[in-house]
Amino acid sequence: MSEKRVKVVKLNVINEPKDSYTGGKSSLCPGCGHDQISNVIVTAAWDNGLQPHRIAKMSGIGCSSKTPAYYLGKSHGFNTVHGRMPSVTTGANVVNKDLTYIGVSGDGDSASIGIGQLIHAIRRNVNMVYVVENNGVYGLTKGQYSATADVGSKKKKGPVNETQPIDLCAMAINLGCSFVARSFSGSKKQLTALMKAAISHKGFALIDIISPCVTFNNNDESLRSYGYVKDNQAELHSVGYIPHFSPLEQVEVPAGSYTDVTLHDGSTMRLETISEDHDISDAVAALSALHKADADKKHVTGILYFDGEKPSLDVDLDLHDTPLVEMGEDLLRPSPEQLEDVIAALRG
Amino acid sequence: MDQVVNDFTINIATANGTGSQSANLILLQTLFDMGIPVSGKNLFPSNISGLPTWYIVRLSEKGYQAPGDRTHIQILVNPATWEEDLASLEPGTVVIWNMDSKMPMEREDVISYPVPMTKIARKLNPKLARMIANVVYVGVLAELLGMDQEVLEAAISKQFGGKAKAIELNGEAARLGRAYFAEELTKSDNYAVESREIEEGGFFIEGNEAIALGSVFGGIQMLGWYPITPSSSVAEGIISWLPKLRTHEGKATYAVIQAEDELAAAGMIIGAGWAGARGLTATSGPGISLMQEFIGLAYFAEVPCVFWDVNRVGPSTGLPTRTQQGDLTMVYESSHGDTKHIVFIPGTVEECFEFGWKVFDASEKYQTPVFGFSDLDLGMNKWACRGFEYPDESIDRGKVVLTQEQMDSIENYGRYRDVDGDGIPYRTLPGSGLDPILYRGTGHDEDGTYSEKPDVYYKLMQRLGRKIDGARDYLPAPIIKEDEEQELGVIFYGSMENTIDEIEDIVEENSGKKISTCRIRALPLHSEVEAFMEKHDKIIVVEINRDAQLYGIMRKEYPLHLLSKMLSVAYSDGMPPRGRLYAERILEVLEEAEI
Repeated sequence: MSEKRVKVVKLNVINEPKDSYTGGKSSLCPGCGHDQISNVIVTAAWDNGLQPHRIAKMSGIGCSSKTPAYYLGKSHGFNTVHGRMPSVTTGANVVNKDLTYIGVSGDGDSASIGIGQLIHAIRRNVNMVYVVENNGVYGLTKGQYSATADVGSKKKKGPVNETQPIDLCAMAINLGCSFVARSFSGSKKQLTALMKAAISHKGFALIDIISPCVTFNNNDESLRSYGYVKDNQAELHSVGYIPHFSPLEQVEVPAGSYTDVTLHDGSTMRLETISEDHDISDAVAALSALHKADADKKHVTGILYFDGEKPSLDVDLDLHDTPLVEMGEDLLRPSPEQLEDVIAALRG
Repeated sequence: MDQVVNDFTINIATANGTGSQSANLILLQTLFDMGIPVSGKNLFPSNISGLPTWYIVRLSEKGYQAPGDRTHIQILVNPATWEEDLASLEPGTVVIWNMDSKMPMEREDVISYPVPMTKIARKLNPKLARMIANVVYVGVLAELLGMDQEVLEAAISKQFGGKAKAIELNGEAARLGRAYFAEELTKSDNYAVESREIEEGGFFIEGNEAIALGSVFGGIQMLGWYPITPSSSVAEGIISWLPKLRTHEGKATYAVIQAEDELAAAGMIIGAGWAGARGLTATSGPGISLMQEFIGLAYFAEVPCVFWDVNRVGPSTGLPTRTQQGDLTMVYESSHGDTKHIVFIPGTVEECFEFGWKVFDASEKYQTPVFGFSDLDLGMNKWACRGFEYPDESIDRGKVVLTQEQMDSIENYGRYRDVDGDGIPYRTLPGSGLDPILYRGTGHDEDGTYSEKPDVYYKLMQRLGRKIDGARDYLPAPIIKEDEEQELGVIFYGSMENTIDEIEDIVEENSGKKISTCRIRALPLHSEVEAFMEKHDKIIVVEINRDAQLYGIMRKEYPLHLLSKMLSVAYSDGMPPRGRLYAERILEVLEEAEI
């Protein structure tokens, strides 16, 4: 009897194979940075042991916002309208606070049409991961500059951009955003650790990811091309993530200096020093890191700012522990006696 | 000279921010508590302090609620509009005026009662003189008309609910006003009030507050809103009642967010609806304009959500504190592309409450945005109310699949597949793990997958059309009052309910014609509306706008033989509808049509 070949399927902590987290086939341009980010979302959700159906994937409009179709096929999602994903996510979040909300948007969504909604979602500290797939151009409408295009950068066609960009991380830090990170779609290891940490964080977690547009903005004169970002990335630290279900003491201790940050679900974000320490609780240090990188025409990556104490919106609203969507008529409709009391009060 | 009892109009001209609203409400409450049919209209500016405000109190034995055609008693307090107000009065009008305003009283043909309102108030309390002066004119009116002092004092107590100092001060101001008239002036007019049998249990309430209460009893779970006149008091009403009525184990069973703008408010309630909750926003025309894109998304992706539009005068910023039925076409066909929406149109405060809870059931049943359509007149004026009836139906969450067992019982499930043939598909909720899809505003097939195929798009749009069309007879039926002759039928809606009786009477007095009436309470139009049109020889559609919006909708939807019967009276000047203005236009239209 010949031996049957047994395919070993690797399972995560909740015994799900990675296939449970994948989605449909991408229709983006081959080599698009966004597809790498989709893969990172799949890996992070799988590694963190999230139940696929307890995730909600949200997006706006644009190339980036099409991607929820390409990952987490077992999760409900909502591809909303241009720049308005934050408000839709806010409404969903407060009525069902127990889901994990992962919003994906682009620089058109987040820095132009929807900048107001992004600002107010940060201000309210909505418990969600907010990913910006930031390439400096509008892809779906064929390559116009966006509001994050760097000064002096030149896309494939057209003049050099002379307009001052909006730095979404600097903006978020100034707004008191509770988790602000920048990464690069080509830095899989760093990005995966940041994504996992953002999922474990309770509050608004912004990850601004430079994700080169291979079709319209990947030429050598662009400050957001693969080549340029690869050569000009300034890492604040090396980011590691230790999930709450892995005992910390079993993880190898780094040789150099490092800082451990405990996240809301008990997981740990381990930041290993590369050249000098960056204090993630210091907003001014984060801003100066951004300004310094900007002056040097570099892209600073890593976790810029973190505040684990700020209450999220659902806490501010003093919501009942049972998510609102799970409540029945007994809790939603006051009784006939209560109506009588109301009318008596109105009669005065 | 015969006495005119309980049948006249008082116009009070003041400036806003001076406390006159309290005085006017005391007057209204006193008359109401004497059992006199009375209504009050607040004509206020878009301003916080110092601009002209008028309050119209109409007493009518016939129960007419509209502002009257003319003023019988004028209170003059505001120097800014003094001359204009005075010039507009008909000879013989009673004028009670503040001597301390130093304005001239140059009309000899009116009945003049000068009162040193400010002096009286200053003696009582120099600091609050400006406020109290308003209650002085209430006291003067009480003496002039023979209002019951005990009832007046009770109304003052009610107005200042529990604040002993304010009650005492204002009570004294009213007494001094009364005493001044009795001692210093002689009554030379023929207006008087008399108590009538009191209908027990009545109270005053604004339409907006009734909507707010209806929403709370409708199980609202998420309120996303942005302040705008005249709708803010809907949201504020909900916010004030929720903690009292919807707290469980000390925690909220609801979420309220004041959004950054109307777009975000719409997004939030759509997010809530998508997640499986009852979301509501309240706004006015300019807000709906801003929400259009989102409304289309909710229609196309089939997400329940509720929008209340408390109409003000458009276009643009328009007259923000005046009333109109100017948004009907906009809400019915809101957003780009082919859309059609369910619209509830209350005409009374009782219906504001009833539709307040019904809109949620309709929205979840049909998985679509549902509109409530009110206006500033109904929403922000106080109306007499007998009470609210507790919902007579359980909450209807519509076709939501909650378990795998349920899912298995549905043959060939697809998020957008018309399994039952009524155009309404089944849906599952995020977090359930049941047949998840990516909701989208792009074209999609019956399983929710992106599609641009011609037949897929065509079928989807036909189904959506059929779905909304199927709601016609589920929605509130029109209120029909048929005359035997069945010659002339008047179709109207919303707050016109409060003027229609007077219009009917004036038309009959002047033409001898009795009319049938049909008050529409929802869109798309109930089948009984068409039956009403079939029965009558001529139909006049009466509404408070310029472009005859309901008339236009009807012309688009009804068969040719009905169109030839249809006539239109559409008029809007920002004021609450006055009976004579509309009646005269109906008479003109009848004459032109040679009826």
